[in-house]
Amino acid sequence: MEENLRDWIKPGQAIRKQKTDRAVRTLFFLAALISGSCIVLITFFILMKGIQPFLPNYAYGTVSLKDFLFGTLWRQDQGVYGVGFIVINTLISAFGALLLAFPISVLTALFIVKIAPKPIKPFMKTVVELLASIPSVVYGVFAAGVITTLVKTLAAYSGISTAGGSSLLAVILLLAIMIFPTITSLSITAIEAVDRDLELGSLALGATATQTHFKVVLTSAKSGIFAGAILGIGRAFGEATAVAMVAGNKLFGPTFNLFDITRTLTSTMLAGLKETTGLDYDIRFSVGLVLMAVILISNLVLNLIKKKVGNMN
Amino acid sequence: METCFEVKDLNLYYGENQALKHLNLTIGRNRVMALIGPSGCGKSTFLRCLNRMNDLIENCRITGEIHLLEQNIYDQKMNVVQLRTKVGMVFQKPNPFPMSIYDNIAYGPRCQGVKEKKLLNQIVERSLKSAALYEEVKDRLHDSAMALSGGQQQRLCIARAIAMEPEVILMDEPTSALDPIATAKIEELIEQLKKTYTIVIVTHSMQQASRVSDDTAFFLLGEIVETDKTLTIFSKPKDKRTEDYISGRFG
Amino acid sequence: MKTNLIRRKLSDGFLQFLTLFSSLLAVGVLTALFYYIFANGLSLMNTDLLRNDYWSVSKIVAFDETVNQPGLYPRPQDLDESVAWSEKWGIGFVDYLSHEKKQLVLIETVAADSPLQSAFDTSAGAAQGKPVALSAGLQVEKIDFSQAAGTADFTGMLASATAAEVAQTLDQQAVKLTSIFIKTPGGGIRGSIITTAYLILVSLLIALPIGIASAVYLSEMAKKNRINMLIRTGIETLTGVPSIVYGLMGVSVLFPITALMGAKTTNILLGALTMAIILLPTIIRSTEEALLVVPKGLRDASLSLGASQTQTIFKITLPCAMPGILSGILLSIGRVVGESAALIYTMGTFINDKPGLLKQGTSLAVHIWSVMSGEQPNFELACAISIMILIFVLILNIAVKFLTRRLQKSWH
Repeated sequence: MEENLRDWIKPGQAIRKQKTDRAVRTLFFLAALISGSCIVLITFFILMKGIQPFLPNYAYGTVSLKDFLFGTLWRQDQGVYGVGFIVINTLISAFGALLLAFPISVLTALFIVKIAPKPIKPFMKTVVELLASIPSVVYGVFAAGVITTLVKTLAAYSGISTAGGSSLLAVILLLAIMIFPTITSLSITAIEAVDRDLELGSLALGATATQTHFKVVLTSAKSGIFAGAILGIGRAFGEATAVAMVAGNKLFGPTFNLFDITRTLTSTMLAGLKETTGLDYDIRFSVGLVLMAVILISNLVLNLIKKKVGNMN
Repeated sequence: METCFEVKDLNLYYGENQALKHLNLTIGRNRVMALIGPSGCGKSTFLRCLNRMNDLIENCRITGEIHLLEQNIYDQKMNVVQLRTKVGMVFQKPNPFPMSIYDNIAYGPRCQGVKEKKLLNQIVERSLKSAALYEEVKDRLHDSAMALSGGQQQRLCIARAIAMEPEVILMDEPTSALDPIATAKIEELIEQLKKTYTIVIVTHSMQQASRVSDDTAFFLLGEIVETDKTLTIFSKPKDKRTEDYISGRFG
Repeated sequence: MKTNLIRRKLSDGFLQFLTLFSSLLAVGVLTALFYYIFANGLSLMNTDLLRNDYWSVSKIVAFDETVNQPGLYPRPQDLDESVAWSEKWGIGFVDYLSHEKKQLVLIETVAADSPLQSAFDTSAGAAQGKPVALSAGLQVEKIDFSQAAGTADFTGMLASATAAEVAQTLDQQAVKLTSIFIKTPGGGIRGSIITTAYLILVSLLIALPIGIASAVYLSEMAKKNRINMLIRTGIETLTGVPSIVYGLMGVSVLFPITALMGAKTTNILLGALTMAIILLPTIIRSTEEALLVVPKGLRDASLSLGASQTQTIFKITLPCAMPGILSGILLSIGRVVGESAALIYTMGTFINDKPGLLKQGTSLAVHIWSVMSGEQPNFELACAISIMILIFVLILNIAVKFLTRRLQKSWH
């Protein structure tokens, strides 16, 4: 017996479907709204908690904002909180790492895309991907075990003693290794995107392949490479656990001596986590706020520079 | 002649651009209407108005009326989902779902809440037979539809549309991605299908239009220049532009 | 002209060498890292590490009076030669060197009919009087026994005895065992493995539906208006937030939620909630990328068959995007396993052998931090856990690569 589909469709089906559609759309919109507003929540709450210690009727005794921002001493035990030198230390270590990692990253990217023989390319790409996927705490163990020993030996040659190798230099080396894969992979993308015709044009003018790579390819990929650097330094600022393992947490500063111990914003936030209330607890939010401000401002400045550099040609 | 679609003063805008201008057209029931014209003339856009697929496009605004069997499909009260169960569509590129042949055809009925195995079996067999595909695939109904050839995939898509027992089947250049033999099979199939369904087909090929259609509408720059019986259009076009296009002077 | 050519060749060679040198540096660092981690951690990598608690527990056990006397228990045939066997008491001991280079005596096996099978707990507490199984791996701190003359003596690690000496002393002197002071081995990471599993499960349970729904909304439904652009920017900004800031957010914003459920301190659930937010951008991005690859024709076909948008999403679009969603899940698992800073804030650094959702605990990564940040960093254990994390992350990455290739292949 032949039956028709039409007879089976229940009346009101289509209207029900429209209603479900509307409900699902609302639900999914709410999900997106939650995802999108997380950043607002984070900023708002950390701001609220972070400025508390500086408000006049703070329960544990108001902290002077000026002393906090420009202080050169951090003594939790004495209730002295000066974050000024820590900001400088953070900037020194992050930019030091960038200075070290940037040329190596760009050269490696160039090698992978343009110079390496075919079979080596995927191998090198895997190396970069592997470096990117190693968790920071593992880098921390490596730094505490190997980099500190390296620094100690280096210091011993120059007749300087270190705190077991924990030092500004160790932090810089560690961060350089950690931001290397970020800058490299973005540089690879940028270099791969360079128009082949540009290269051919340069070659046709009699430049050698290597000259073309360094003068034409790198210049054209400039903006993408720079974006990698910005991302990399963001990671350097925010890196916490690994840095805290080799920073040494100096109480005053700033630290300019490569072999001296240092203290970054993140290592400060991880040090002495015992308290769960009081000024000692709340001040951590203030440090977090300063960290976010440092990241934001350096991002803005670097993006401005990027625009300037990009506009030059 | 019974009327299937009655289009009255249809305008379509993409933002500021007017893509369809004051279209008026009558499409007869159980007939094959071919829409011809150069690329970008709006014939595909018009086709998608007939089952309101343009609703999904942002910035797309439509005025005017389209009546399907006396009912304005652009009416506030019209349920789009219900409309689409009555107006099936076959696309330029065969697009079977990445599932079995059986599931592809049962997809539409299942979406309407049909779960009865017996009925689904019947529908699948009947649809495949109507699409002249049953003999080729009856032993592998549960194999992936992606393994079929292009022509078979397109016939599967037609079967999938037929499964819904629609009033109309819209075909958007259904053979443009197929080889001549597969194309011939589809054209044969259209001949069969028009006994039961109204078919509106967009085509680039003059020959195909003259082979398969009863009526033809010639589109140019978002307007309908001329519409008439296919025989008349191809032998004695009234408009100079139609004549130029048909004789291959442009397009 | 010729010198110019040579100079060019030289400079080219030098520049090429520079790029090669940089790449070799990267390879060198990776090799050094793997070498260091494996060289230091491999010795600890065994099933005991995975099975044992971190904290060792001490117990003093005594024996049933009625059977507490020496007998004759022949040495089992299949026993390894290194095991010191006490024939009169039916128990075998082995020597073991701990990672702290301490000489230990461990129980290896106890005969089925030995009087030692009647051991019960004498330590005060809920377990008092309950039978204790003298299983392999327990450390023998001290065995008190009576000699034939009625005088008391003891042997074991406190007497600096080796396994052979312990067995010999028992055979030659003991006529009755007063008590045995045993210690479970400890140093294991069972609790942290369970905590990590909790974290992965709970955070994905929360982040997946929200993330996938957000991605579907943004790429399938959202019109290009102000609100949707803002939502997108908000999600993208989330990627750049350092994980330690997420930790701050966890303890300030999310803690009240867990407090409502009865949590008094930082806890695993709080860590999982925080992780869920960290995972959102990852899941949203990989789902969106997968949705973009699904051909538009399939959606059109589904809609033209009278399916509603909801049906199209759940029956066609999402199944087609499955490989992408899966790789998002794998990336997320990798992120949870590797995360430390945010979890230190939200779960604490107390290594918990019996973790529960509302209790403190450490994931594997935080376990590393915990053993590294003490007075005496335990490099061996840190490296052993690192090996596990590295292997895990490696497998995940390979799987993601495989899935990405499949996603691209299926539509092109």
